[in-house]
Amino acid sequence: MPEEAQLEEISAADFFYRNKSLAGFDNPVRATYTIVRELVENALDAAEVAENPPQVEIIMSEYREKTTGSLPWYRIVVADNGIGLNPEEIPRAFGRVFVSSKYKLIQSRGTFGLGGTMALLYGQITTNMPFRVISARRDEPSYEITMMIDIQKNEPIILDRRILKGISRASFTIVESYFEGNYPRAKKKIIDYLHQTAIVVPYADISFLDPEGNFFVFPRSTDRMPPRPKEALHHPRGVDLELLQRLLQSTKARTLKSFLTRHFQRVGDKTASEVLRIANLSPDKKPSKLTKDEIAALFHALKSYDRFLPPDPSVLSPLGADLFESGIRKELQPEFVKAVQRPPSVYEAHPFIVETAIAYGGQIRPAGEIQLYRYANRIPLLYDVSSDVSYHIIKRIDWSNYGIKNPEDEPIVFFVHIVSTKVPFKTVGKEFIANVPEVAKEIELGLRNCARDLRIFLSRKRRREMLRKRYELFRMYYQIIAETLQEILGERPPVENLLNKLRVKIGEEDGGDGGQEESS
Amino acid sequence: MEEMEVKRRALELAKQIAERIKRGEFPEIEYPPNSQKNIVFDERVGYIFDPKTFSKIRGSRVKSLKTLAGVLYGLSRALDHLENGLTMTKRDFYYVHKVERLKGTLFPEDQRETDARIVLMELILGMPREAFSITSDPRGWIYGDIELIDRSGRVLRADQVGEMGYSVPPRPENIKFKRIGVKAVIAVEKVGPAKNMIELGIPEEKKIAVAILQGQASRSMRRFLRMLSDEGVPIAILTDLSPWSLRIAATVIYNSINSAHIPYLASPEARFIGILTKDVEEGFFKDYQFALEPLTPADLKAAQDNQYLPNLQNEFWQKENRWFLEKKKKAEIEIFKAMSPTAKKLKELFVEYLREKLDEHMGISI
Repeated sequence: MPEEAQLEEISAADFFYRNKSLAGFDNPVRATYTIVRELVENALDAAEVAENPPQVEIIMSEYREKTTGSLPWYRIVVADNGIGLNPEEIPRAFGRVFVSSKYKLIQSRGTFGLGGTMALLYGQITTNMPFRVISARRDEPSYEITMMIDIQKNEPIILDRRILKGISRASFTIVESYFEGNYPRAKKKIIDYLHQTAIVVPYADISFLDPEGNFFVFPRSTDRMPPRPKEALHHPRGVDLELLQRLLQSTKARTLKSFLTRHFQRVGDKTASEVLRIANLSPDKKPSKLTKDEIAALFHALKSYDRFLPPDPSVLSPLGADLFESGIRKELQPEFVKAVQRPPSVYEAHPFIVETAIAYGGQIRPAGEIQLYRYANRIPLLYDVSSDVSYHIIKRIDWSNYGIKNPEDEPIVFFVHIVSTKVPFKTVGKEFIANVPEVAKEIELGLRNCARDLRIFLSRKRRREMLRKRYELFRMYYQIIAETLQEILGERPPVENLLNKLRVKIGEEDGGDGGQEESS
Repeated sequence: MEEMEVKRRALELAKQIAERIKRGEFPEIEYPPNSQKNIVFDERVGYIFDPKTFSKIRGSRVKSLKTLAGVLYGLSRALDHLENGLTMTKRDFYYVHKVERLKGTLFPEDQRETDARIVLMELILGMPREAFSITSDPRGWIYGDIELIDRSGRVLRADQVGEMGYSVPPRPENIKFKRIGVKAVIAVEKVGPAKNMIELGIPEEKKIAVAILQGQASRSMRRFLRMLSDEGVPIAILTDLSPWSLRIAATVIYNSINSAHIPYLASPEARFIGILTKDVEEGFFKDYQFALEPLTPADLKAAQDNQYLPNLQNEFWQKENRWFLEKKKKAEIEIFKAMSPTAKKLKELFVEYLREKLDEHMGISI
């Protein structure tokens, strides 16, 4: 279907242009935040592909003051130490919407698979200014390309292209763009986003010089990065009709049977034969020759066959409990933190892993509301928290079982991270997770797992405090007793001996069940 | 001598505690609590403190420790006051704890805390608080032909020391009687009627003494009455006819639960002569029912509670008390005023009533 594909390509930029709200550009405030976010995510991705601990620098400044009837323009520069692009790749990577192919299955960060292109497009739409990309691969020349996007044709227009430097020793990319926005009102969200990103990407150095001259630094707490996800074939139950059609069109396989074994995981000869028998299709049929009805039959056979092994979770790249805790520690400085990674699970043939964490005390303050940090594929979700499945689970759990009277009034922060090849977002805005039973169950188990450790921590802490207070009371009362006896008898009895004895006793009791006798 | 005894006991306690601390042991104080188990009521002698069980204040427990430190601190203050011939009230004792350095420890939340400590000190030392310098404001007078020698050695006559007579001191223990020239002592609840009797010259004329209780008899007044009783002087009690007055009379006769651990406060020989229900129903006041007062809600509550007080259990008290529950009325001693248009008439009525009552209840004629 070449015509269809072309149609889609032509309309992509246009489609975005008319439906800005879908991608998070519905107003200047939201757009300002989304632009920062998309460019930062791009930068992080580039560094992770290069397997470099990311170093991302963001500089934002006011380019043109607010005039009557229009908002200020901003210049944004985002630099990363990522894999870098050669001059041929740059226009393709930034100059077209929908560049990525989804023929393989892998956990990816970008919420829309569009990277920063939409951000740059928005800048172009609001200012009619070109954007600039400077990039180099390691030990290759660095190029500076100034360009715009032809919205109708969905093609890059290169305005200027030059070599900046002979050979660059390190790879990098710098993107510079101009857009109309509203920083003062987007500021809080942007800082929240960077702060929460710094938690979930603890191996990244992020700095941000904002238009007001504030300089925010989020240094990394570790150089260790989680293993890269492996690319894998689609699971047969996880494909939709559209994807199946595309795969059938583009495959090099000559027969349906080899098509199935080559393009899907968990499908061997035997399984392929069984599926085709259910679909009532010949194993030797050429994939590209299927009729619409035959495609539908194959699709239903894939959906109804219930003996596929569960999908391979190695396509997922969770953060890991240690890194999660490391990120939380560095950004929140809690007294207690516990992160848990749940085993891989599956919903509707999509593999997913839930990671949860709870942080308590230290620099954390009670907020009068539930403090919940949500992440999907290492991206913070900052909107619609009260609609999120995690929020409802936290509301439902009886926290008094874990030594917490009311999480809204205590210095406690919850974290839920879902990694999946298809994160179950509830809405097209992709800001909160739907109540999918399989996912909800994992979130609850993960949170309860963390909470059990919190309970132990709190009971030890409270007991230690109780013993400290008790010792302090003993000290004060024996002080009075000593002084009083000295007044009556003219001689001060050696109460310190008793207190030392008590200190030893308290030390021995620590962790035990002593101190109860006082209640009688 | 009482002071010496207090000092001896306090020092012994302090030494024993210091010894234990020196040996590296947590100190303890053993004492008989004034719990129900240790208090017996006997009609013939009133409340008796008869310790069968003992409690320990342990220096190894947080709550106990506060008490232990509190007792020692209280004793040190008491000893200091004794040493300097100074007394303090319960309120003073409370303020003695409101000091900067006791914040977070013995600094009291309210006076109940230090009041309870005083009772504990009484139990531990086996001495009334007056013996260790914590006294009440004096309350109670006696007027009549009684010669006594007070603690300073002066000889006083109780009808020659002021309009209301001799003011009974907080600790009457050291008083000695030189000569008693009265046939009986009338212990009167209220100041007004008692003063009238004195002003009308009744004590001189009828050879009686009037003791003014001013409400519930103070511990010192009760001790003083007991001392007179021990000298063989008949004690007659004259109160209102009210639920509260039953308690006042019973406390003079039997002592109270709260001070059960203090000996010699009961006067079992004393007689409650009035006002009694029969006086109102068929006796002296039967034609003056119109002068009765209604019971207030608080009065009624007191009457209900009276049904369960250990010292009001015998049939006489319960019969008297039932009258309040039925009639919901009370008679006050001031009723004599309602009966007498002139002072002359008032005197006649007082004398007539006392003559009738002393004769009936005590076989004494005046």
